[in-house]
Amino acid sequence: MTLTYLKKHTAYARIAMAQGRRERAELYGRVVFFAVILGVFSSLWRAVGEAGLPASGDPRALVWYLAATEWIMLSAPQIHLEIQEAIRRGDVVYRLGHPASYVMAEFAAGLGATALRMPFLGLTAFGCAFAFTRWTPPLSAIALFIPFAVLAAALLVALYLWIGLLAFWLQDVSPVFWVTQKLMFVFGGLMLPLAMYPSAMQKAAAFTPFPVMLFAPASIVLGTGLVRPVILARDLALWGGVMALVVQWTYRRAAAGLTVNGG
Amino acid sequence: MQPAVDLYELSKSFRVRRPRSGGIGARLSNFIAPDVEAVPAVDRLSFSIAPGERVAFIGPNGAGKSTTLKLLAGILQPDAGEVRVMGLVPSRQRTELAFAIGTVFGQRSQLWYQLPPRDTFELLGRVYEIDARAHARRMEALTAVFGLGGLMSTPVRHLSLGERMRCEIAASLLHSPRMLFLDEPTIGLDVSAKAAIRELLLTESTREGITLLLTSHDTGDMESVCDRVIVIHRGRLLWDDSIAALRKSFLSAKRVTFWSEAEHLDVTLPGVKVVSSAAHRTELEIESGATPLGQVVDAALRQSSITDMVIEDAPLDEVIRALYAKAERRCAT
Repeated sequence: MTLTYLKKHTAYARIAMAQGRRERAELYGRVVFFAVILGVFSSLWRAVGEAGLPASGDPRALVWYLAATEWIMLSAPQIHLEIQEAIRRGDVVYRLGHPASYVMAEFAAGLGATALRMPFLGLTAFGCAFAFTRWTPPLSAIALFIPFAVLAAALLVALYLWIGLLAFWLQDVSPVFWVTQKLMFVFGGLMLPLAMYPSAMQKAAAFTPFPVMLFAPASIVLGTGLVRPVILARDLALWGGVMALVVQWTYRRAAAGLTVNGG
Repeated sequence: MQPAVDLYELSKSFRVRRPRSGGIGARLSNFIAPDVEAVPAVDRLSFSIAPGERVAFIGPNGAGKSTTLKLLAGILQPDAGEVRVMGLVPSRQRTELAFAIGTVFGQRSQLWYQLPPRDTFELLGRVYEIDARAHARRMEALTAVFGLGGLMSTPVRHLSLGERMRCEIAASLLHSPRMLFLDEPTIGLDVSAKAAIRELLLTESTREGITLLLTSHDTGDMESVCDRVIVIHRGRLLWDDSIAALRKSFLSAKRVTFWSEAEHLDVTLPGVKVVSSAAHRTELEIESGATPLGQVVDAALRQSSITDMVIEDAPLDEVIRALYAKAERRCAT
């Protein structure tokens, strides 16, 4: 990878950040939504804790866990919609003709938008979690969690990129995105740590990339030692590699499809 | 001299699904093993374009124009034949070729919609590896020529279609390509915006020696910008010559309009028919070779004094329509 190649694709990240700054309303909307769901769930977990239900855990820890998973989820822009629109309108023909990697350009643009959102949503996550619980996990755990959250968000961007590439075949990729979100909910431990799930479900989840994106990094923030950072780093690298291969393969198939089926 | 574009027996077909009609069985078959038919989009197409030429590339809808442009830009791969653009093979040397060519697609956009054009120009500067100083110089030149000064800081979503198209063309010229492919660059523009775009294309291509290949359904684009016309139909070459030669070959009649002192003119000569008639105004169509034009004018003058007269060729639109009709008839037989 040369410096020129890097500069070229960093430019896509920069312009996506600039575009994100122009679309402030969406960011503010996410911030408000985030604060509301944290408020709702902190009340819910408190009520569950007070009722002494078996799946309660520490209600404060659960709020911080949710803040962590949602931070990752909400930071990743829905680039699949932009890719789908570009394919529908035909604007993609320009991108395909540029002397740059189409996949890397889209990925870099997704990362750029993520980089803009993460600080705002991070402040909302930690600020609201503290405001609703009057408690913080160990600061060292938070510090360790942040880089993993960034990597997990990048993996999520790659997943959305893959969904976007399916628009070369599908009229509408929303159903695929919808199914992915549900899988994220079930296998990623979006609302509750996977450790609280039945063991069969935990075993099934281990074969998917979703725990690495949400459950594992969010568990680090709680500082329980349930997830070892080295193992998480390895798993992120592994799933990152798998995702890179899948995305490249899908793009090649899409490009081949264009040349065979027209478009 | 090496041609800017050189095509030899270029062919490209697409696989199109032909769904079977019927009940659940047919639907299941359509899903599992669909019937697929190869539809030729470009069929043994050969032509060559010299550097600096401005060529109109026309044909009816579905003729294969856009497919040919995508093949030339390396976005699609040919099934057979040879193609070279600026000495490069597009399907194998797409990245190198991208530095040598520019593309403008009239109904598409490469500008970031929420941002001012300046941001897209900066991005393209990086993508095309233009160093900062050269980029600034080039931007200054393009801003002056295309009158972009006031537009550079306005978000693209606030630009009119004509302003946006000026920015699109300038963006495609940023890396100083030697060849420019334009796919309907004036579509949807008003008369003055069209004229401005045509003027810019003509002056810039002349000044910088850029080879142009332009597809358009607007004959005004061809007449204003191009010297030569290549017509394709069903992926095959139908015509390749100058616009004047095209007119000459397919022009079967001239139109003459007289404004006369007399209320009506009655010119009865072989091959002459009245197209329209109003008070003091008579429009005639004269078949080529039937009656010399001078005789028609003499006949009109014998009837009345003439206050004004206009002689026109049939519009290029009609010439092209005649060409397409001839090709359709040939295909039908």
